[in-house]
Amino acid sequence: MMPYPVRVFRVLTFESLLDGVRRRIVPVIVAISLLSLLAIDSCTSCASSPLTVNGQPVDATAIAGWSGALMFTALALWTMVLAGALASDHLAQTLVDGSATLTLARPVGRGAYALARLTGCLTIALVTGAVLLSATALLMHARAGVPLGPAAWGLVVCAVGAICVGAFATAASLFLPQIATTLLVLVAVGWIALVNLLAQFGAELPGVHSAIDRFGPPLGSALVVVLAPWIPSVSVTGEPAALILRVAVWAGAGLALLVLTIRRIEFGR
Amino acid sequence: MLALELLAVWKRYGTRRALAGVNLEVPAGSAIGLLGPNGAGKTTTLRLLLGFTRADEGSVRLRGLDPSDPTSRIGVGYLPERLALPGRMTVCGFLRLHGALAGLGEGDLDRETDAVLRQTGIADRAGDRIAGLSKGLAQRVGFAQAFLGRPELLLLDEPTSGLDPIGVRDARDWIGSARERGCTVLVSSHVLSEVERICDRVAIMHQGRIAASGPIDQLLRPGEDLEDAFVRVVRE
Repeated sequence: MMPYPVRVFRVLTFESLLDGVRRRIVPVIVAISLLSLLAIDSCTSCASSPLTVNGQPVDATAIAGWSGALMFTALALWTMVLAGALASDHLAQTLVDGSATLTLARPVGRGAYALARLTGCLTIALVTGAVLLSATALLMHARAGVPLGPAAWGLVVCAVGAICVGAFATAASLFLPQIATTLLVLVAVGWIALVNLLAQFGAELPGVHSAIDRFGPPLGSALVVVLAPWIPSVSVTGEPAALILRVAVWAGAGLALLVLTIRRIEFGR
Repeated sequence: MLALELLAVWKRYGTRRALAGVNLEVPAGSAIGLLGPNGAGKTTTLRLLLGFTRADEGSVRLRGLDPSDPTSRIGVGYLPERLALPGRMTVCGFLRLHGALAGLGEGDLDRETDAVLRQTGIADRAGDRIAGLSKGLAQRVGFAQAFLGRPELLLLDEPTSGLDPIGVRDARDWIGSARERGCTVLVSSHVLSEVERICDRVAIMHQGRIAASGPIDQLLRPGEDLEDAFVRVVRE
């Protein structure tokens, strides 16, 4: 028989997932995903055709690699933002409306409850991301012959990055309203990714931006570096494994912060 | 053996003092009513027992354990004053979730869920969404989840709130049945007549302290009912 804590975590995670699916945002996510898939199909359709620019034949694989890397990076970052946006109230709302009270009056640890809520909403974001990124990679592979290996690593970066963003967003949501948390996620992911991309393409960054690039979660750098085989004309800096490990360390820090925070707060009055 | 215990417990919210040296011991198998005017500290006491908030000073024990330990809540049924149920879930789904959290195995889950649905008179609403229930029916769902897994200790905060007279009488019977099988009951309520019928002991809280406590018959002076005793204690 399954140990009680494992069973409780499984039950809470499943309920969190169902709760996420019942929300009105899910049809919106599905609609955006379908539009994204149409865009992916459209953007990759020219890769199999012979291309000519100013009368000169152009290597279609190189163009496909560029467009594929751009699309893949954009969709992976969108998945991370989605994870943060969903996490921005998935736990906090249950504390505000009081529905968490009955659950936490059971033999359920606060940390387990918070992690289960996070896992539920991350599942939605990660399934969405996996569908979009896999579709991009498979279409690029079928139409332009780009290798699938970098996409697999890109999926790993996206998953770890989504956990990182989701964990910090959930922790922040315990103190901030949903709209503020969502904006924070959007700004933080966008800022970090921009700084990472500028650094990868050789820009000189001032102090704080340089520190973010060197020590922050390398959400953009890790994606660019693992997708580098698709864009051989660009020289990137950084080891894929080291960058993925750094994102994973930040994800671990986010999860630890979430558990510590929920253990310290007091519920209602 | 004590089901729950508070020793010299102090709790402040900012500058406001919620509890000021509360001492309360509840032996296993007894039924105690926690009485007091608004703001006396009754709900804060329950929150401390369930680990929702921490005492600034003093010791709190639930089933002999610190409330921050989740295992202290094994075998505890709780009905909060402000019942917030997930409106998107069905009654049956909600009860099955709480049955699983209460530690019921797959085999017991169906049997126990059916039993509490029948006991609380909501078996015919099992498939309904909670959002569509009236306040009284939602309160019955709250009772049903508190009774899941045959708890050893029931913590009930204003349990008859929202119930019609029939529901109030039913609730009294349900709590009575739980008592008969040895369950410890702590009821926080303003409805003194209910407390008098359900409980054998009371603790009267006032301004964050236990102003009086003990068996009901020992607290009453000649010619007094519980309401008279309550008013006297609070005014003293």
